[in-house]
Amino acid sequence: MVELRTQESQLLSALQEVGGAATVEQLIEKTGMQDSAVMRIGLTLQEKTLIAIHAKHQNVVKLTAEGEVYAKSGLPERKLIRAVADLGGSADLKKATERAGIEPQFIQIALGWAIRKKWALYTSSDNTLRIAESFLHQAFIPDGADEKLFVLLAEKNQIGFEQLKDDDLKEAAGQLKKRKILLIEPKTSRSLQITPEGKAAVAEAKPKVQEITQLTPELIITGKWHTSKLQKYNIAAPVAKTWLGKKHPYLQFLDEVCTKLVQLGFQEMTGTAIETSFFNFDALFVPQDHPAREESDIYYAKDPAFGDISQHAEAVEHVRETHENGWTTGSTGWGYKYSLLNAQRLILRGHGTCLSARTLEAKKFQVPSKHFSIARVYRPELIDRTHLSEFNQVEGIIVDENLTLKDLLGVLGKFAIEIAGADEVRFKPDYFPFTEPSVELSAYREGYGWVEFGGSGIFRPEVTLPLGVKEPVIAWGLGVDRLFMMRAGLEDIRMIFSQDLDWLRRKEVT
Amino acid sequence: MPTIDVEYRELERLLGLNLNSNMEKLDEILANVKGEVKLFNEQEGILSIEMKDTNRPDLWSAEGLTRGLRCYLGLEKGPRRYFAEKTAVEVNVDSKLFNIRPFIACAVVKGVQLTDPVIRGLMHLQDKLDKTSGRNRQKTSIGIYNFHLITPPIKYCAVNPCDVSFIPLGFSEKMSLDEILELHPKGIEYGHIVKKNPLYPMLFDSEGKILSFPPIINSNDLGKITEESRNLLVEVTGTQNRTVVNTLNLVTAALIDRGGKAYSATINYQDASGDIKMDVLTPDFSNRTMPLSVEYTNRILGLNLSAKEICKLLLTAGLGICKVDNCCVEVEVPFYRIDVMHQVDLIEDVAVAYGYNNIDCIWREMPTTGKAKPAQQSINIARELMVGLGYQEILTYTLTNEENMFTKMNAEPSPHVELSNPKVATMTCLRSWLLPSLMEFLSNNQSVEFPQKIFELGKVTLPDESAETRTRDEEWVCAATTHANANFTEAKSALDAFFRNLGVELQIMETAHPSFIEGRVGKARVGDVDVGFVGEVNPLVLEAWKLENPIAAFEVNLQKILLGKTK
Repeated sequence: MVELRTQESQLLSALQEVGGAATVEQLIEKTGMQDSAVMRIGLTLQEKTLIAIHAKHQNVVKLTAEGEVYAKSGLPERKLIRAVADLGGSADLKKATERAGIEPQFIQIALGWAIRKKWALYTSSDNTLRIAESFLHQAFIPDGADEKLFVLLAEKNQIGFEQLKDDDLKEAAGQLKKRKILLIEPKTSRSLQITPEGKAAVAEAKPKVQEITQLTPELIITGKWHTSKLQKYNIAAPVAKTWLGKKHPYLQFLDEVCTKLVQLGFQEMTGTAIETSFFNFDALFVPQDHPAREESDIYYAKDPAFGDISQHAEAVEHVRETHENGWTTGSTGWGYKYSLLNAQRLILRGHGTCLSARTLEAKKFQVPSKHFSIARVYRPELIDRTHLSEFNQVEGIIVDENLTLKDLLGVLGKFAIEIAGADEVRFKPDYFPFTEPSVELSAYREGYGWVEFGGSGIFRPEVTLPLGVKEPVIAWGLGVDRLFMMRAGLEDIRMIFSQDLDWLRRKEVT
Repeated sequence: MPTIDVEYRELERLLGLNLNSNMEKLDEILANVKGEVKLFNEQEGILSIEMKDTNRPDLWSAEGLTRGLRCYLGLEKGPRRYFAEKTAVEVNVDSKLFNIRPFIACAVVKGVQLTDPVIRGLMHLQDKLDKTSGRNRQKTSIGIYNFHLITPPIKYCAVNPCDVSFIPLGFSEKMSLDEILELHPKGIEYGHIVKKNPLYPMLFDSEGKILSFPPIINSNDLGKITEESRNLLVEVTGTQNRTVVNTLNLVTAALIDRGGKAYSATINYQDASGDIKMDVLTPDFSNRTMPLSVEYTNRILGLNLSAKEICKLLLTAGLGICKVDNCCVEVEVPFYRIDVMHQVDLIEDVAVAYGYNNIDCIWREMPTTGKAKPAQQSINIARELMVGLGYQEILTYTLTNEENMFTKMNAEPSPHVELSNPKVATMTCLRSWLLPSLMEFLSNNQSVEFPQKIFELGKVTLPDESAETRTRDEEWVCAATTHANANFTEAKSALDAFFRNLGVELQIMETAHPSFIEGRVGKARVGDVDVGFVGEVNPLVLEAWKLENPIAAFEVNLQKILLGKTK
């Protein structure tokens, strides 16, 4: 037996009741369903071979917007003639049109048609309009074919042209079309016809249980759901998107890096975005006239412009001597006159290494000791797909007696495996003003290729000794931005600070 | 990091090696001197090489680069030898230059084959040295002249700008010094260096012909180098004698590498009465010696190299050996290796010659305890809570501008930290509160589906006289919700949930804040401490950001909340 939904069986029964065949319009009238519903259900019934749908093409007659106005108020010539009759069967054209409420642009039309329909005579010498003799003694002038058509259209909205019974009406339709009062346009009208299977289905149809879309508390409480049927859903249909709250993918990645480093025994260092030139440069043996300190390479603070390094007087003095003549570090030094004022100049830190310098100087640790920082750093760069003006750096130090280049390479190798998930590592000579020897680390990962992942070195004695640290110190920095971009499939570094909410919403959590 | 341009064919020729344009192979070789091919313009045959070491200007020419590389390739061993024959060329230095630009070094180089690539290479080296070790000509600047047009002795003196005029390089008219500073491109670029003083440095020959106006521009008559020039006078002036002489040495050595023969000059530094108080011979090609401890080398590298092995590696790195015993190598450091300041610089060269990838890696477990920063846990909790409330975390710049932070927020400027050298108008200061960053974010997402709920947990920077850096950073949380029906109640409800889950009692007190609607803003208080605010954003602010939906937001100081909790 064919399964029928409530509306399907309703439509099928209605069709049977009207004799097995009907137009869509007739069915709308019969069932009270919407046009679209009849068609939709009709199509499903046709799929089930319970009905056949026939399409018929014909011309239909339909009022224009102007026509609809006339259908209510009457044609302008009718209004005019009514006014003349009211004025005693003869009247001045101006008076008559005023009384009829005809707007000036329609006066010629109204007059023209009143004459053409032989309803009235007009004498231009005295501008007088008179009702024609033949109608003069009648109570009213009977409707013309055009006005009869109006009445029909007002009832039905639209009529098939072929359904117009009289030729008069057909002619009137043509005339009104010319007057742009109505349209004649092609239309496909559909009719439904029940098939033998359809008849059988109606016969078999049993009293239907009610179908339910949304299960409600009321249905549950009253127990009505027992006698209802829960409608099946199209579970493959697309649904509205839900946007949930999520952590930022890059910050989540930094969290991961932080966790790894803590697991590897590193302690986190912190500091402020604004730093003294002393810790950002001098303590790292960057001479005071070094190009990295030019305005094109580092941001300077305007106000406040100078910091306080008085609490680090001993370190400052040793750093000064080291820069000037090497102090007792065994270095030649830079051989220039060190400026204390320059050392106090406040900058926006250009790297996280200033935090390592501070940690070494503070000496609040027991050897061996391992430290790291995740620091926002600043450079006066123009922002483009490979440059940011501020970004995050992950770096740190290891302090221990007897650390060697072998340990340095070992640490880098460990990071490459633990943090970058590398399959292979490669080392190259590198340069930093504060480390010697210096090493660049490249990590290879299947599917990603080689990526320069970090820079590292052993702090120069010119860095550690003035800060009061006798042990060798390994300093390292990791290219976490590049690693993140590689993982997230990004090619534009600006996406780290993405202003695109849609991207953040859609980014999968990894 | 300087990037140097060299002609590929010149490089191959000077290297004495055919590389068949194999850039990978070249990169491998360049790694020894910390160089990397950035670009190879095959059409013009120009290689752009990035040199990571900012302290090795000896490598910044085709001549110098190949000098460094040939040792690593085993084509040469140890330092190259350079000589300058003594001549009668003297340079007299005016004592009035003492506070202006006191130092000069000169050399004469004869018989150089100045082909077009050689001239271009020379100009390129001159430019690199002026810009980097010369600190944009402030510290040193180089001048090169046709020696046959010059009649020594040369006079380096300080002149009154009104007294001198000459035709500068590239011009055809005589110009006064002030006109040069105003009209000549080099005068415009470098004029600030000399303008600080009433007298300007000038170089004359004994007949009063002008060589140049250092560090600005050469004279067009004597200082124009062409392929016809054979004998050159090279001169470097500057503020630091060591760098002045080093720079001259590098340029002269490059010309010797090109087949030139160098002659030295005597620099006579005069006192106020014109007597010579000191004379110096330049260039100075004498090499230094530096003792290198075998034990120290092995201690840093973790290797067990013998003195003999160290010597071999030093020679590969282009350094020389004066004396060796079991515990110490007396290293000859060539004059052009100005980067060698400490034994560690030699030790790195030993390691590079040994090959980093030939050294074993060690990972030693150490008895250290890892620890995230103290604030980390509360930051994590705060983020978890905001995510749980359905807010999307965002990350924005801390650099911003006053228009965003105050004008568009309908707020009076409050203390914040400005940059003295902003690069772009949109980044002129550090943010002192977070909400403007969120407003900017929302204004960039007007076409994205609503409702939008975002938050940022980030740092703000505030002036603080009591701190070493005269500033302090604070960790704040800011959240905003926006959709057709966003209102105060929604934001307060989220803030309430946030505090409840932190276990902190929140009070909302009446307050006024111009960024919010009057009567729809409250300050958040914990105990007797104000920790932030919550409110419905003022439509004036929405208009300023071109936002079309109401926004409700809160911003609270994370540290203060937790401080309140512990109380």
